[in-house]
Amino acid sequence: MSGVYEDLTVVELADRRNQWAGKLLSDGGARVIQIEPIQGSPGRWCGPFVDDKLDPDRCLDYWWNNTGKESVALDLTRKPAQDLLTKLLNRADVFLESTPPATLAKLNLDYGAVTANKALIYASLTDFGQDGPWRDYQMNDAAHLALGGQMSSTGYSDPTATPIGGQGKQAWHMGCAFVLHGITVALFDRMTSGEGQYIDVSIHDACAIGTEAAVPQWMYYGETMHRQTGMHANPRRQPPLQLPTADGKYMIAVMQNFGARVWERLLKWMDEKGVTGELHDAKYQDEVFRMSEYRTGTVIRDAIARLIKASNGEECFHRAQSYGISWGLVHAAEENYDIPHYQQRQYWRSIEHPEIGRAIPYPRGPIAADELQIEPRGRAPRLGEHTRQVLQQDLGLSDQDCASLTAAGAIR
Amino acid sequence: MSTKSPVRPGVLSGVRVLDFTWKTVGPWAPRLLTHYGAEVIHVERAGGYDDHRYNATPSIVSDEPQAAQLPGTKKVYSDPQFNTLREEPSAASGQKKLYAAPYFNTLHHGKLAISLNTRNPEGLKIVERLIGICDALVENFSADVLPNWGLTWERIHQLNPRLVYMSASGFGHTGDWKGYRSFGPTAAAQSGLSLASGLPGKPPAGWGFSYLDVMGGWMGGLALIQGLLKAKKTGKGLYLDYSVTEGAMSMMGTYMLDYQVNGRRTRRPDFPPGNRSIFPSMSPHNTYRCAGKDRNKQDWWVFIACETQPQFESLCHVMDQPDLVLDPRFATNEARVAHQDELDAIIGRWTRARRRYDIMRKCQAAGIIAAVVQSAEDRVEYDPQLQHREMHPIINHPEVGGDFAYEGYPVKMSRTPAFLHGRAPALAEHNEYVYGELLGMSKAEIASLREREVI
Repeated sequence: MSGVYEDLTVVELADRRNQWAGKLLSDGGARVIQIEPIQGSPGRWCGPFVDDKLDPDRCLDYWWNNTGKESVALDLTRKPAQDLLTKLLNRADVFLESTPPATLAKLNLDYGAVTANKALIYASLTDFGQDGPWRDYQMNDAAHLALGGQMSSTGYSDPTATPIGGQGKQAWHMGCAFVLHGITVALFDRMTSGEGQYIDVSIHDACAIGTEAAVPQWMYYGETMHRQTGMHANPRRQPPLQLPTADGKYMIAVMQNFGARVWERLLKWMDEKGVTGELHDAKYQDEVFRMSEYRTGTVIRDAIARLIKASNGEECFHRAQSYGISWGLVHAAEENYDIPHYQQRQYWRSIEHPEIGRAIPYPRGPIAADELQIEPRGRAPRLGEHTRQVLQQDLGLSDQDCASLTAAGAIR
Repeated sequence: MSTKSPVRPGVLSGVRVLDFTWKTVGPWAPRLLTHYGAEVIHVERAGGYDDHRYNATPSIVSDEPQAAQLPGTKKVYSDPQFNTLREEPSAASGQKKLYAAPYFNTLHHGKLAISLNTRNPEGLKIVERLIGICDALVENFSADVLPNWGLTWERIHQLNPRLVYMSASGFGHTGDWKGYRSFGPTAAAQSGLSLASGLPGKPPAGWGFSYLDVMGGWMGGLALIQGLLKAKKTGKGLYLDYSVTEGAMSMMGTYMLDYQVNGRRTRRPDFPPGNRSIFPSMSPHNTYRCAGKDRNKQDWWVFIACETQPQFESLCHVMDQPDLVLDPRFATNEARVAHQDELDAIIGRWTRARRRYDIMRKCQAAGIIAAVVQSAEDRVEYDPQLQHREMHPIINHPEVGGDFAYEGYPVKMSRTPAFLHGRAPALAEHNEYVYGELLGMSKAEIASLREREVI
């Protein structure tokens, strides 16, 4: 079995926006050659670092987003380096880049300039796409969550509190999801047409359609969302669904239907904790009344809050789930390492790191499928680790060629 | 309304997808395929319908008839998403149409719709026949539903060896938790995403919508396209076990490694950092209150960040406080990070009196990262970039009074452009096409199935 992107060569121009997409191409079996500037990808300089010591070869964010890639360090402001990249593109299947629009045209590396390779899929993932009035605005991930609408729906019920953007570079992830759609569809097409094409994805466009109900709510009802602590924004203020547990954690008590069987078990659990209140009253046996009270009233909600307050988080999660109730426990990402379920699903993939003398368990990725085989293929490269290898083996340069290019500062 | 499948151009033209999805994360994935020309057949249970169709609140668009006016309806429970009542009709057969259901229209536009009773053995036989004529099957039921229909992967593969089958679920279809249920917020909580959002020392802010239903659906759509690509190469079908929670954990990889290597946890007093930046450590990088409030009396905000020294110097000039650059508290990024409470207060005093878009324009003109915290209204009614990129295309739908704007699809391809293939289907709109033309049933057979409530 082999990965879905096996036998493909991807050239990726190093950038924090596109590196996760390049990683997923590598995870799927593609050979991904990352072209870095001489001083290294910006992704190498953001941290966190091993032992918090600044070192471009020991940036953990870079490690995560660049598994399995090859690193070729070129100074693209110099003509010889531009020519090397053109040669690589002539042999590549996919080019992934995130430079500000018009940058590559100046280097004679825009789509129009590299069409010698008709089969090349040339994908640009940029802040705003290749055109439009905001095309040249300066952005980062959090700025996208602001402009794209994620922040407007996220934060706290206090109307004076700041909107919040979640951590983890999720705006860039959203852009990467769509650029991967485009690349994969273009590969599908190329199998029959034999031709590549140009793909233009804007991170702002991606974020702007990623706020679930907020846009339909405005279009259909003219209503604006209230931010609500730890839960969905809504046009009307609602009681909290993120509730504290006995051990200082939070449950997300997602609203759902309580049918007769679920209700019976929930009551038994409440009885055990002594928090049932008036819920044994016969009227709550009627599902219509029960759900109406749950939706609009406070009696059932308060009892649920007492139940969660009287239970530890893990107990709450597993009991609720065993009763068919879809509540979730607010975990820390790292706490998932200890959960047998993910181990049973072979979610962690061990990657050797000679730099620290041991292997690290990496998350596998979203899809469990032997046939796609999408998983980290090895550690991220050191800066310029593959420069000579690629230039010599792929482009036929000699030792001497490489030495003079290095001396001229065109490669590292 | 046409009951036929229109000819669909696109890369995936000729690819047929059987769509048993509901809620949100499931429907997104096959909808994405419609943009490339796939024919997606959304299956709803006979006598009922996808619950996102429901919308009892009259909208500003058009809404007739009101749900409460329908005969034989029973109130069940509310939809927390839209704060509307959901109604359960005893029979949907008499209904000409449902309502202007915002989220159904979003998630299912471009699809075909059929009704089918999967509790009926004859209905299950039809499912098997449909599997035989499709290239992909998608569902986001609990893990036991399809096996209970007799449709294990082995059986599905036997029925159609070329079929790509994707199950989308909260925790995957193997392991201790395969029976566990999940909505978007459940998966966000369990994965660690919710905890990684908020102000330090406050309860988690989480995500104010089902980020994992949206992004999870997009990743599911990617997996489907990947599966179809692989199947096209090998000629063999395959099974994709998509766990939304696992997908979310793989969007938190940096934090996983930070824990493994440095022992630093995301459950710690100074994390999450609100809208400040820790990696890399920089200041200013925050949201700032502006003049004005939204329709719900929430303050308006702008996000500002300086990633370089020249950006900070420009910001001081834009704020007309050039001396700040020389202030030892703010002269370097390191100093600014150490004094960011004071710096944020200074910037906040400047933004407080000013209009948010004016701040953004002035900062951007000076090369500074600045972005208005835009609401849906801002994006739909004002955002000139989204207008320029035509991100709210028009689809004609008689149930919403004709032309209506939708959220577009953000992939622009030069040779094989993505399309929007028209409105969301009415309930069972394509029964004749799917059962008649695709499965070759006669009118009499279809009528008989309808009479016996199989479809």
